[in-house]
Amino acid sequence: MNQDHKNKFKTPEGYFESFNERLFARLETEEGEPNTDFLPQKDGFGIPEHYFDTVYPSVQSQLEKRAPKVISFNRYRTFYYAAAAVAVLLVLTLGWNWNNSPDLNFEDLASTDIEAYFENNEVGLSSYEIAETVNLEDISITDFTEKSLQEESILEYLDEHVEDVEDLDLNYEELEY
Amino acid sequence: MSTEETLVLKLKNKATQAQAFEVLVNTYKERLYWHIRRIVLNHDDADDVLQNTFIKVYRSIEGFKGESKLYSWMYRIATNEALTFLKQKSKKSGISNEELQETMIENLHSDVYFEGEEIQLKLQKALATLPEKQKLVFNMKYFQEMKYEEISEVLETSVGGLKASYHLAVKKIESYLTDAD
Repeated sequence: MNQDHKNKFKTPEGYFESFNERLFARLETEEGEPNTDFLPQKDGFGIPEHYFDTVYPSVQSQLEKRAPKVISFNRYRTFYYAAAAVAVLLVLTLGWNWNNSPDLNFEDLASTDIEAYFENNEVGLSSYEIAETVNLEDISITDFTEKSLQEESILEYLDEHVEDVEDLDLNYEELEY
Repeated sequence: MSTEETLVLKLKNKATQAQAFEVLVNTYKERLYWHIRRIVLNHDDADDVLQNTFIKVYRSIEGFKGESKLYSWMYRIATNEALTFLKQKSKKSGISNEELQETMIENLHSDVYFEGEEIQLKLQKALATLPEKQKLVFNMKYFQEMKYEEISEVLETSVGGLKASYHLAVKKIESYLTDAD
């Protein structure tokens, strides 16, 4: 038995040796997992009978349905040649310079038109896919840092996209001064 | 070489792809289904999203570099597909995400594949009040019984951050359920 010779208090055998272990065990209990006794064990969602047996055949059939169709070029080759010949003849006959309207380029589109297109049309691309498609080699970090964003735009973006202040992942320690 | 690495190699090889894909679907279909179902709530929607997830996996496996585990990559695709599905649904209906959540919960009353009682409905209402990430963490930890390390790989968040999110989620749910009584 341990004994403090000055105060004459005693502690059980091995008390200090096992102190850390007991402390961490308690911290684990108190801080590791919150009490969930009040929660239902099940969420109540059900599925049709034998549903999981149908998953693979359904996916397989979807893959076949959505497979890109390959159209044989050879089948239409004669028509392409004929169409090309007719086009050449027409161009030669009618002259080249009949269209004086200026060519439209991607740059001629207003950014609002592009935004409106993405807003109103289902482009079928998730942000994950867009991120996979965009070539990062052409983008440098200075593209973002050198262009100053309007404070109003930043606030508007945060207002629309951030549901909780936690999402901002702020390091509050750095903000303390 | 691990079983997962072998499966990935087989998925990338045209000769063994079909058989490997069947193994992949049968191995992960249940886990991914429940993950998706808890986001979209309705069975038919969950089925659609699950199929889209596997189709995306099949078409993107060539680009899978193995930098993360296969299951966490698939979970990420499933999460993304489910959230995108809900965004598109709210946009099509011309309603906000909050309004859509309310409608989804309301529809559970008449859903033949929802066998829950009052407490389960209240829980769904409580979950609808949480930020997206807390909701995901709660479902993955409490109902799917995933380890923090596994959730961390899927959501690419630190274990410490996840623990905090889970604690907050449980506290908010408790407070919602207590106030609702």
